[in-house]
Amino acid sequence: MFRRKLHGHNVGNNEELCALAELAEGEKGVVVKAIGGFGLVRRLAEMGLTPGTEVKLVKKGSFGGPVEVEVRGVALALGRGVASKVLVKPVKDDSP
Amino acid sequence: MTKQLRVALAGNANVGKSVIFNQLTGLNQIVGNWPGKTVERAEGTLHFKGYTIRVIDLPGTYSLSAFSIEEIVSREYIAIEKPDVIINVVDASALERNLYLTLQLLELEVPIVMALNQVDFAAKKGIRINAEKLSKKLGIPVVPTVAITGSGINELLTTVVALASGEIKLNPLKIRFGAEIEERVQKIQKLVEKKLPQICTFYPARWIAIKLLERDEDIANKLKSHENWAEFLKYAEKQAAELEKMHGEPSPVILASERYSVASKIAKEVTIIETPPKISLEQKLDAITTHKVLGYPILIGVILAMFSLIFVGGSYLSSFLESVLSDILLYIEVGLAFLPQEIVKLVADGVFGGIMAGITIALPYILPFYIILALLEDSGYLPRAAFLMDNLMHKMGLHGKAFIPLVLGYGCSVPACIGCRIMETERERLIAAFVVTLIPCAARTVIILGLVGKYVGLHAALAIYIFDLTLVFILGRIAFKVLPGEPVGLIMEMPPYKKPSLKVVLAKTWSRTKDFVYIAFPIIVAGSLTITALNITGFIDYATKAAKPLISGWLGLPEAAGVPLIFGVLRKELALILLSEIVPLETLSAVQMVVFALVAMLYIPCVATVAALLRELGLKKAIAITFVDVAVAILVGGLAYRLLLLVIA
Repeated sequence: MFRRKLHGHNVGNNEELCALAELAEGEKGVVVKAIGGFGLVRRLAEMGLTPGTEVKLVKKGSFGGPVEVEVRGVALALGRGVASKVLVKPVKDDSP
Repeated sequence: MTKQLRVALAGNANVGKSVIFNQLTGLNQIVGNWPGKTVERAEGTLHFKGYTIRVIDLPGTYSLSAFSIEEIVSREYIAIEKPDVIINVVDASALERNLYLTLQLLELEVPIVMALNQVDFAAKKGIRINAEKLSKKLGIPVVPTVAITGSGINELLTTVVALASGEIKLNPLKIRFGAEIEERVQKIQKLVEKKLPQICTFYPARWIAIKLLERDEDIANKLKSHENWAEFLKYAEKQAAELEKMHGEPSPVILASERYSVASKIAKEVTIIETPPKISLEQKLDAITTHKVLGYPILIGVILAMFSLIFVGGSYLSSFLESVLSDILLYIEVGLAFLPQEIVKLVADGVFGGIMAGITIALPYILPFYIILALLEDSGYLPRAAFLMDNLMHKMGLHGKAFIPLVLGYGCSVPACIGCRIMETERERLIAAFVVTLIPCAARTVIILGLVGKYVGLHAALAIYIFDLTLVFILGRIAFKVLPGEPVGLIMEMPPYKKPSLKVVLAKTWSRTKDFVYIAFPIIVAGSLTITALNITGFIDYATKAAKPLISGWLGLPEAAGVPLIFGVLRKELALILLSEIVPLETLSAVQMVVFALVAMLYIPCVATVAALLRELGLKKAIAITFVDVAVAILVGGLAYRLLLLVIA
């Protein structure tokens, strides 16, 4: 139940969008958009989290700690706050 | 006459770039800073086939945008200094992400040779790269290497020389973006060529156009010295805004997506995925060391093991060195006996005393500490520790990466302050450096263990450490609340575990120890000389009298403890040595010992650390940190004195 208006237009038909940080461990999602400051959004894109990219949530740190994601064959640690700013569309099918 | 070549190494972090640099240059390295920047610059020379090749190791970056000083330093060096060849070091096991930088190097239109590194590790992961095909796709030579064993290094150099001498001709890939982007890039490019021909002698016009479309603040600022810049920037701005409206994304994201789709396509075409590997030892190790529950006891265990190893082993080595050096000191004093007593004192206590202190701290404590830390770092454990600590660090407005300089601080504050460079913003560097000055370095540990640990008990020493960590946390949190600016979140690569390479470990250890040797050591000796001189002139007596209300009135220490604390500014462990000379240590009460250790731990960064703070943060911030540290020490010392008396009574 995640519906946001971003840059003045709705991001598709997005009943099932969620934040990257909300994926379950082992679950995959496709990046839809990163929200946040110019610097953060640019950095995330440069690290490979561009719209349309598949990411896998590998691990969530305890006590609201960072999450480990796998994107483009690389493991990245993202602070929970950062990972909450990346909107993804969860991928139901687990096959690669 | 030998021919000269200049070669620059460019690549992501954790791809083995520094290993290649070490393989190429061996010990012929000069490590310093980029002029006016707090970014490390490593340079070396080698001779190959009649060429003298100067190699510059550019900072490891993921991109060439204006995100960090490192990225700006790299692209300016490439564009303005125009090295003859760029060696792009690429991790074969993460080709797609690495190609992102390669594509940006191609945008700069410079001669590139790719070192396709860690092919062995990629093969282990079931990834094989067709280097020949990759070379065709990119239009640049690609040489597979395994830097750690040195395999492929010779071919790499041969290729570099062949390219520089014109034997090989390049046909580099020209990246074309989607139509609506390409159209705008070309429009801006035409205008750049027409209106700003001067800047095109450094940067390719197309590159300038791309950067402007990406709203690159650094390039926009550079244009401001040119005529008609306002009008020109407005035009580029309009193009970027149009594009953003079409895509609903900020323009840098649009261009990053474009580059990544090229990178992804190339990577897919040249990669052969073999049988998916079974779960390796490295993966198991990763799972357990970042485990939600088990990760933390493991982290504490690793750190405790490291500390006990270093401080138990170190104290033996230190006392051995001390006895040897004391003998030498005696010889010097005897040998110089024909000179006036003051001069003997200056040479013996001032100069040699300073050298002695430097050696007895550096060799037994700092060096082994940094060797172990480099092992943990190169094996991949340190990023995992940063992962575990991220949440706690956030409470201080820092993020997980700050854990690394913090741990460095237990060795020596000087390299730890320099280690704060890994933080992304000025604000984070300031908070991290402030916190680092409050961490007991090896010299302060000598005081805590040598005084409190020895005479009051280990439990009391441990309590001081725990108290210090709490204090660090509270003060860090206050600094975070007081300083303006937004905290930055963690975005960090987690490189896979690997067997550490001896060469890298030694190089890293040296690069940190050299900060101690080059910055701290001369200052320790000079400071030692100055204070000996002040002592001879009687100035110290005067200062002791002046500080009496503070030392004995507020802190409850013997009046004479003022002298050691003054000398302690030079090097902290000297405070204890001097104290023991003035007052028999066992005559101090337990409370006095604890208060003395607390004050010595907190009261002022030693002169070498102040010098490092000056270099890294500038005068104002260095003074501010020093001032706060002194105030905290006096406050904490006085309060501890009164509270502890109450508790005991």
